[in-house]
Amino acid sequence: MGIAWGDYKSDTWDELFDGTGKPRPAGRKLASYLTKLSAQDLSERRLAAELAIKVMGISFTVYSEGQNVDRSWPFDIIPRVIPKAEWQRTEKGLKQRVRALNAFIQDIYTDQKVIKDKVFPKALLGDSVNYRKQCADVKPRGGVWAHVCGSDLVRDSNGTLFVLEDNLRVPSGVSYMIENRAVIKRVFPELFETTAIRPVDDYPAQLYDTLAGLSPRSGNRPTIVLLTPGIYNSAYFEHCYLAQQMGVALVEGPDLFVDEDDVCYMRTIEGPQRVDVIYRRIDDLFLDPEVFNKESVLGAKGLMRAWTKGKVALANAPGAGVADDKVVYTFVPKFIRYYLDEDPILPNVESFLCHDDTQRGYVLENLEKLVVKPANESGGYGMLMGPKASKKEREKFAELIKANPRNYMAQPVLSLSTAPTMVDGGIEPRHLDLRPFILSRENPYVTMGGLTRVALEKGSLVVNSSQGGGSKDTWIVDTDEGDE
Amino acid sequence: MLSRVADNLYWGGRYLQRAESTARLVTVNGHLLLDLPRQVQAGWMPLIEILGVEKQFKTLYPEAGDTNEANVVRFLLNDERSASSILSSVRRARESLRTVRDTLPQESWEKLNDLHLMLQADGEKGLNRRYRQEFLQRVIDACLLLFGVLTSNMSRDTGFQFLRLGTNVEQADMTTRILDVRSVNLIRIRGADDLAAFENIQWMSVLRSLTAYEMYRRLVRERVQGDSVLRFLLQDREFPRSVAFCLMRMQRTLPKLPEKRSVERAITRTLALLRDADVDALLKKDLSEFLDEVQVGIKGINDALSEAYFKA
Repeated sequence: MGIAWGDYKSDTWDELFDGTGKPRPAGRKLASYLTKLSAQDLSERRLAAELAIKVMGISFTVYSEGQNVDRSWPFDIIPRVIPKAEWQRTEKGLKQRVRALNAFIQDIYTDQKVIKDKVFPKALLGDSVNYRKQCADVKPRGGVWAHVCGSDLVRDSNGTLFVLEDNLRVPSGVSYMIENRAVIKRVFPELFETTAIRPVDDYPAQLYDTLAGLSPRSGNRPTIVLLTPGIYNSAYFEHCYLAQQMGVALVEGPDLFVDEDDVCYMRTIEGPQRVDVIYRRIDDLFLDPEVFNKESVLGAKGLMRAWTKGKVALANAPGAGVADDKVVYTFVPKFIRYYLDEDPILPNVESFLCHDDTQRGYVLENLEKLVVKPANESGGYGMLMGPKASKKEREKFAELIKANPRNYMAQPVLSLSTAPTMVDGGIEPRHLDLRPFILSRENPYVTMGGLTRVALEKGSLVVNSSQGGGSKDTWIVDTDEGDE
Repeated sequence: MLSRVADNLYWGGRYLQRAESTARLVTVNGHLLLDLPRQVQAGWMPLIEILGVEKQFKTLYPEAGDTNEANVVRFLLNDERSASSILSSVRRARESLRTVRDTLPQESWEKLNDLHLMLQADGEKGLNRRYRQEFLQRVIDACLLLFGVLTSNMSRDTGFQFLRLGTNVEQADMTTRILDVRSVNLIRIRGADDLAAFENIQWMSVLRSLTAYEMYRRLVRERVQGDSVLRFLLQDREFPRSVAFCLMRMQRTLPKLPEKRSVERAITRTLALLRDADVDALLKKDLSEFLDEVQVGIKGINDALSEAYFKA
């Protein structure tokens, strides 16, 4: 017995089917393939995927009740399809955006023209948690601070793609993008014969090139390392994966030390070895106990010294997070005009800044319609989902906002687009977003698609894996070739 | 190579080898008990003695009547509280190798996870005498598969050398332990003429716990006897589980690592001890003391490695 697609109905924009229930052009092959499968076929494929994930050891770590639990990666086997033409435009928009963000960061740490020209209020900078005064006057190579950026894209009910946020500190998820594809190839090999699906596994090589380009020493093969906080970090799987795929050493803080010559070394069986580039996956504040958090054992003493003297490259650069702030976010379209003199290709989601009296007034009066976000949290923590919150929670948030207006911004609740997702007893629409990754360098690189995160619970808009979200393989499909 | 990584690879290798050896030990002891008459049966406690974990066993199973098959087998197979169980060895191998996953072929990590999942799923069932044999065989197969994947897919880089050092130290250690306990046992039943036939059975079981029986027969071509078994397992230069073979293989590994005289000396010294051993004399007396000396030598190698490479 086949799946009853007649029952499938999304109350917003659906990625696979249009309003009349017909598959969109790029998804035609996938849809016709899926309709031929019986419910039993589908659940067999799902089991195969679960097994593949277990066997491949694709996991993430959740911290709960004082214990770290390694969980299998929650994955939905029905891919999400994006037409190539749309993706090309998105790619351009992302590159434009990250160029402007890097220009902003460099400006903030040097001349601060953006403030002098009154494009960005000085007061906002003063309150920024991620501004690092230690980075003033530093000029990393090519003016690039955020070498790796993960931007979250969402689609509203009209089908427009918006940027929801930019992650410029230590964005994660890219390994799952690659592994999701590996799983899908095991589960639906036949689809790859008939559909022109763009490959995604180029990323580690591209990342390697990006990092190698940062080496302070010319010639020779640079020594690149990936600095991880260790096995208890939720993204440890990814750290291992990327280090392995790039063929670089995976190091922990105690493996590194900075000598009196300000050069960074790692401890090896042959004695100390000089390190040129550190792809760090720990937060700024843990990088260097000499400068930041004195208790930190995750970083290495003297790293900032080595970095400011140009003896070692750090990616992303410390202090890049100043632009990874939900309040700064609202200025990005202005930055694109200001620094690049271009019109933004990708729109921002409409946002209200609580530090502005009028906008705060609106927010406080309309809390039940809005999502309120703290400026500097990630992973979906510390948010208020207005429509779902109780009166008490809304009141609590109103107090929080009044006490620290700079720290909050609000957005209307978007009805995120949906895609068909397997649930117990069939296929139903579930909301999703998309996180592409952008590598900044002379010729920037954008992943082919990105990581699609899906809220597995009916009606839920929360896609974070730490909060019950799952993911899907993302297909950029070429509709010109291979059709018919 | 990072010192921390070398350390983890070495211990990953040791724990994997330990898991395999433990599975073999339990298997062979089961077989042996079926063949021996009741009055010479030593039961299951010799396994605890072989591993030198009497204290830990006593802590978990304190009663006098606790030294029975069910408890010993649980202690060695899937007791989470016991550091000597196969489950714990595989867990520790997984924890060590997990932190250095980036240096291993992806496939080997998948196989290690398979083994871990299998132990969790079927460990309890494996305690049951009816399924034990099959269960242990699956553990052994999984370990061999893992070693196979590593040997076939891994470049002979520094990381591989540390894994190999780990497996060889562990094997040398286990071989001496098995000899030690079994030989003590053997001496116990000497003298009683009617039991002489069973002496051979015991020596055969020693060989079998090290999968050495067939190789021994091919080489020695006479019936199984104490002196030649001892010579084979201590001094043979061709059999991969003999103590001398393991040490020689470690010796061959050293040129691929940064030179450290202390490690070289520790290995050479222990090898000389083995070569100079007069096996016939040892069988008459002092075998146990001699094996203790070899054990001290192996521990010395372990400590020299740790000092030279893991504590940068």
